[in-house]
Amino acid sequence: METVVQQTDYDALSCRMSAIAKGYLPSPSLQVDRCNYHQYKEFHMEYLRALKSVSMRIYSIVNRVVKTSFPVMNYGTYLRTVSIDVALNDYLTSLGKDKKVQVINLGCGSDLRMIPLLQNFPTLTYIDVDYDSSISVKSKVLWNSEALKNLLDLQRDESTGEVFAERYKLASSDLNRLEETMQRLHDLTEKDCTTIIITECLLCYMRQEESQKLIGSIVSYYQSGTWIAYDPIGGSEPNDRFGRVMQANLRESRNLEMPTLMIYNSKEKYASRFPTTDASVTDMWEIFSNRISADENKRLRSLQFLDEIEELKVMQKHYVLSTASWQK
Amino acid sequence: MNVDRIISLLRQAKHISEETVYTLCLRAQELLMNESNVTRVDTPVTICGDIHGQLHDLLTLFDKSGGLEKSRYIFLGDFVDRGFYSLESFLLLLCYKLRYPDRITLIRGNHETRQITKVYGFYDEVMRKYGNSNVWRYCCEVFDYLSLGAIVNGQVFCVHGGLSPDIGTIDEIRSIDRKQEVPHEGAMCDLLWSDPDEVDSWSLSPRGAGFLFGKNEVDQFLARNDVELIARAHQLVMEGYKEMFDGGLVTVWSAPNYCYRCGNIAAVLRIDDNLERQYTIFEAVQPQNGVGNPIIPTKKPQMDYFL
Repeated sequence: METVVQQTDYDALSCRMSAIAKGYLPSPSLQVDRCNYHQYKEFHMEYLRALKSVSMRIYSIVNRVVKTSFPVMNYGTYLRTVSIDVALNDYLTSLGKDKKVQVINLGCGSDLRMIPLLQNFPTLTYIDVDYDSSISVKSKVLWNSEALKNLLDLQRDESTGEVFAERYKLASSDLNRLEETMQRLHDLTEKDCTTIIITECLLCYMRQEESQKLIGSIVSYYQSGTWIAYDPIGGSEPNDRFGRVMQANLRESRNLEMPTLMIYNSKEKYASRFPTTDASVTDMWEIFSNRISADENKRLRSLQFLDEIEELKVMQKHYVLSTASWQK
Repeated sequence: MNVDRIISLLRQAKHISEETVYTLCLRAQELLMNESNVTRVDTPVTICGDIHGQLHDLLTLFDKSGGLEKSRYIFLGDFVDRGFYSLESFLLLLCYKLRYPDRITLIRGNHETRQITKVYGFYDEVMRKYGNSNVWRYCCEVFDYLSLGAIVNGQVFCVHGGLSPDIGTIDEIRSIDRKQEVPHEGAMCDLLWSDPDEVDSWSLSPRGAGFLFGKNEVDQFLARNDVELIARAHQLVMEGYKEMFDGGLVTVWSAPNYCYRCGNIAAVLRIDDNLERQYTIFEAVQPQNGVGNPIIPTKKPQMDYFL
């Protein structure tokens, strides 16, 4: 199961590379202007280049998919990436530039958000957490690229081989193992520091009990913070079969399970995962319909013919962004 | 060339040689060349929406609606792209057209073009199955000869997408030079790309081609051409079909569980001699081989989910 879940990172990376190749990402208005992300395409291309020298196998999987991605997938990847970036940026900006804050990306895979965030927020520390195998590949890739090594100001502990920077840590832990995870977080983070948790397609692969215990432990450990999550939801309408078809397809083709897809199958039920009362859950179709400006929409339309918009709607109504804050 | 034998092979999703496809496409072109832009069809007839390479669901469609031996058929286009068996689905329909020319009408959809099939899967499928693009090119030549519409008993206008601000009467469609790649704008493009919507007049389409049109445009078109229904496809409908504008327009969708992912049901519309409408709905089947074992569709490099 670990390998199957860990491999979903290749999908996420290849989707992102495809959206970059086709010009969906970076969004000039939302990522460059609003979030102040620079060199987005360049550091992603550099990561992919370095990945090739670390693992030809992973590189070829990712690269093959990049070439065959459909416009609906590029739209979905765009919505997912941009909505998380904007949520992060808005929260960080609301705290103020000088506020000490730590970002913990649980199940980070090859996500590269740490690069612009560390640049833009000088008092921010960033911790990437994932399976040992994922962290090992990511560390090697970052260390193998002169450009990324310099960008992140990385150092390496020669005895352990661990790669790190003053404000950036990579930590390996199986997030299904609560004690191990909390121990790692205890060692690497500060209990009293304002904390942002990112889980981008993490909770959906965990069993209900493990995922709820993880949320509960983290929220009660840190003094204050916000949890930004992106996940699929199965759908709750009686005739909605999207979630069941998704479970069956992923089981059949990948042996991949989504144990809580039909449990937290609506926005309301997804919000109930978080012990805070203010969890706000928005589906990606609402984001597409209400939060993407007419100009941005026009830009997206110019990239590829979008056929079919109904299909995009069906899919995007089944993916949500959730933000939940807590303060003790 | 033994068309019945090819039909039997295609129904089993078996490989067809490049030479056979070439001959098939050439003969289909000769036949389609003589059809008019808007083909006249008599009742009773079964009108079918998008297929999108879902061969096994196409076979179900024929089973559930009587088959060509018993009924006439109009297919509203989008035979290819997205599904795993675009080539087999399209060739099967072409074979039926050659075998029963008066019993089946094939209308061009917005996916029956070189540009769109390069993005949405048909081109890649041919490359995967043949190692070169020849078969894709032969099929694209046929696309250029497909009809733009059909008219049933002078009363039901059939088209893939919808109306065009450049088209007032059905006769105006007859004067289009259809034997070309679908242009990016103009009447021919609109017929294949437009969508009905709750709008007061012609509006820009979110698809980037064609227009949105509303009840006013539909009512005008019906009155001016003395027809009572526009039957079109083009848009996924979760319930398989959807009537709009007091029954003046219907969307028919015939690809169940679209893209093996959407969870929708599919429908076909039968128009009888009294112009009564009868919808038959059907669900996706697990593709099976001759002895009842599930066929795993050609493995795609990626599942289309956000993971």
